Amino acid sequence: MSRQPTASDHTPRERVRRTLDWTLPPSPVVREVVEVVPDHPVANRPPLLFVHGAWHGAWCWQERWLPAAAEAGWHSVAVSLRGHGGSGRPERFGLASLRHYEHDVLQTITTLPSPPVLIGHSLGGVVVQGVLERYRSAPAGVLVASMPPVHGLQAVPGLLRHDPGLLVQALVGREVTPRSGTLFGPATDPGEAAEYLARLGPESWLATQQVVLPRRRRDIRAPVLVLGGEHDVVVPPHAVVRTARHFGTRAHLFRGMGHELMLEPGWDAVLRRVLGWLEATLTGDAGT
Amino acid sequence: MADEARGAATRTAAAATRTAAAADDAAVATDGTARPQPRLEDRRERTLVIGAGSSGLTAAKNLRERGLAVDLVEREDRLGGNWNIEGSASRVYESTHMISSKPFTQYPDFPMPDDAPDYLHHTQVLAYLHRYAAHFGLDELVELSTTVEEVTPLARGFDVTLTGPDGTRSARRYGQLVVANGHNWYPKWPSYPGQDSFTGELLHSADYRSAAQLEGKRVVVVGAGNTGCDIVVEAAQRATAAFHSTRRAYWYAPKYALGRPADQVSDAIFALRLPLRATQALFEATARLVVGRYERFGLPTPDHRFLETHPIVNQQLLYHVGHGAITPKPDIDHLDGDEVVFTDGSRVTADLVLFATGYLIRFPFLPEGLIPGGARPRLYRNVFHPDRDDLFVIGLIQPDSGQFCLVHWQAVLVAAYLELRQRDPAAAAAYLVAGRDHLDERSQGGIDLIDSTRHYVEVEHADYVRDLEREIRDVEARSAGARSTGRARSAAGSAATPAAAPAEMSA
Repeated sequence: MSRQPTASDHTPRERVRRTLDWTLPPSPVVREVVEVVPDHPVANRPPLLFVHGAWHGAWCWQERWLPAAAEAGWHSVAVSLRGHGGSGRPERFGLASLRHYEHDVLQTITTLPSPPVLIGHSLGGVVVQGVLERYRSAPAGVLVASMPPVHGLQAVPGLLRHDPGLLVQALVGREVTPRSGTLFGPATDPGEAAEYLARLGPESWLATQQVVLPRRRRDIRAPVLVLGGEHDVVVPPHAVVRTARHFGTRAHLFRGMGHELMLEPGWDAVLRRVLGWLEATLTGDAGT
Repeated sequence: MADEARGAATRTAAAATRTAAAADDAAVATDGTARPQPRLEDRRERTLVIGAGSSGLTAAKNLRERGLAVDLVEREDRLGGNWNIEGSASRVYESTHMISSKPFTQYPDFPMPDDAPDYLHHTQVLAYLHRYAAHFGLDELVELSTTVEEVTPLARGFDVTLTGPDGTRSARRYGQLVVANGHNWYPKWPSYPGQDSFTGELLHSADYRSAAQLEGKRVVVVGAGNTGCDIVVEAAQRATAAFHSTRRAYWYAPKYALGRPADQVSDAIFALRLPLRATQALFEATARLVVGRYERFGLPTPDHRFLETHPIVNQQLLYHVGHGAITPKPDIDHLDGDEVVFTDGSRVTADLVLFATGYLIRFPFLPEGLIPGGARPRLYRNVFHPDRDDLFVIGLIQPDSGQFCLVHWQAVLVAAYLELRQRDPAAAAAYLVAGRDHLDERSQGGIDLIDSTRHYVEVEHADYVRDLEREIRDVEARSAGARSTGRARSAAGSAATPAAAPAEMSA
């Protein structure tokens, strides 16, 4: 397979020193972990660990992807990051950072029987990138409408145009009330979208800043699949393409879909693409 | 015993020459004796990791993660090494807890559970190691109850004689060896005049398992390592009388400072990157603030600066001294019948003298001299053999902090090195040659440590972790160099291929 030179051609560096984690380890929280074990598991398949994005919780995977992936024979697990879904909210949640979220994911990983594939949506995609750097054993990563690797400023123009209120709410760390067209594509039934929007919860102010503002690139070895929606306002197609290029791969954009690829009509096609790619990628690497 | 060992060493040396000469003959006998030799199994493509303790496990895991084929053998019937209290070489006792807190101790990619305490009990450490092994599939890999009897170095690779669980011997030829047999198991006994005719009991802490061994006795504990301090604190609670004999005065660091694990606080101080003297002054001031003046407890003034000896982390010792349950004593001068006589002339009668005098480094299955330096191995960054590119030692460090995390990075370094060797043997050789000039660099943060066997493999963790990071990046940069020349060559052949479309649209 030929490809253009990309940033990923630079050698992934091991990040050895973690002074912040040593001096100020993240405080423990109670975590909500949703697990669906397939009735007919397929041997030698790694578990899938799903990480939601800002304001969401494990519930956004529980709706469609979790049962469907389990049906297809994959052990599927979703975790709610601290302060989200059914997980505990720490004191001073507004100062929870990506580092704390990565901790929550790593803690969940240690409870799994074998190294999982990490699948992250939106802000969760950035968390997954951080975990993939630290936890090299993951066989693969999937970035679903993920915020890009070095900053999320591409989200700003779209939000300014379509939903400036959401942008302001997010940046000051207030509860968000997005318009349904901001997160969901045109094919989603407005009533259904409203139901999902009502389930959104608060997000950490600091983590939001970290996702939007420039940040250190993560060095990743695992193969990565990059997906996005044609009508996504938050992570527009050109941002998805740049993310893909960053990881030396191609972007897969889904026609007619918005930001919520795992909830919108057409979610099943996206999941099929994910599972098909995983099957091909993992068997290709079976030697290791 | 010593003669026997020397005899074995000469024998293997002779065998080594012979095997090296016939290195390609897979069925060659590796021993001059008449004992029938098992057939030699060729595993030159694989690496043998010796020992499935905290170091061997992470070595096997990290090598496999980089696509290297690994065998892992463990003498005991359970993995866990030192932390498997049932193991014959385990030196933990019932009350052993970690002395470094979780973030420093855990493997960086497999954190200790949130619901475990700051300082884990040894049973929790063993459970953690078992979960690590299960998660990374090492429990399926490890060959338990398998002892390495003898290792014969060849020109390249090693012949290894093993005894399996059913007592049968086998011989295998390996490409590489990773030695992870631990270094805190071979007791170092002191010898004081009158020791042989002492009427009480003499015990090394290696054989100490529980406080029941102290019950109702007058106990002299010798040594102020972390073990010695743990045991004398237990003696304060269980023995009739407890005396603590130390050669010199030490700094006793608390387990908690400012309500947080003290190592997390001290690392925040280290992170300031102050000059060493300033850091030491800050630590000493903290010690004075938290504990006060040691002289007040009848302890001598430390004769060295903070950080110049391996830290002793014990918050209870001074408390029991203050309660009169522990009597501090200087070094032992001699033993006399049922009495222990100290260098200050004072004498106490004792039922038990417990030597917490530490351990010596031993590789019983390797021919003597294979690892140069004798008691103080000369290894580059405590890992690399100066002359061989197929022999690595893992876990042979005594950090002033948690062990597993540092050993993980040692293992990553070895894996990266083996990857480089596969890709570009010349570049790998160049790396080793460069390292040979730095064999005496010790990663001790510029601290002059007191000369003692216990400091032979001492590393200052912040310094060591920085050094390992630099080494890993060095090796990976050499690897990338090798890869990019390969790519340039293959790209020349396919220059006409059009660039792939950056995105693909799906319905």
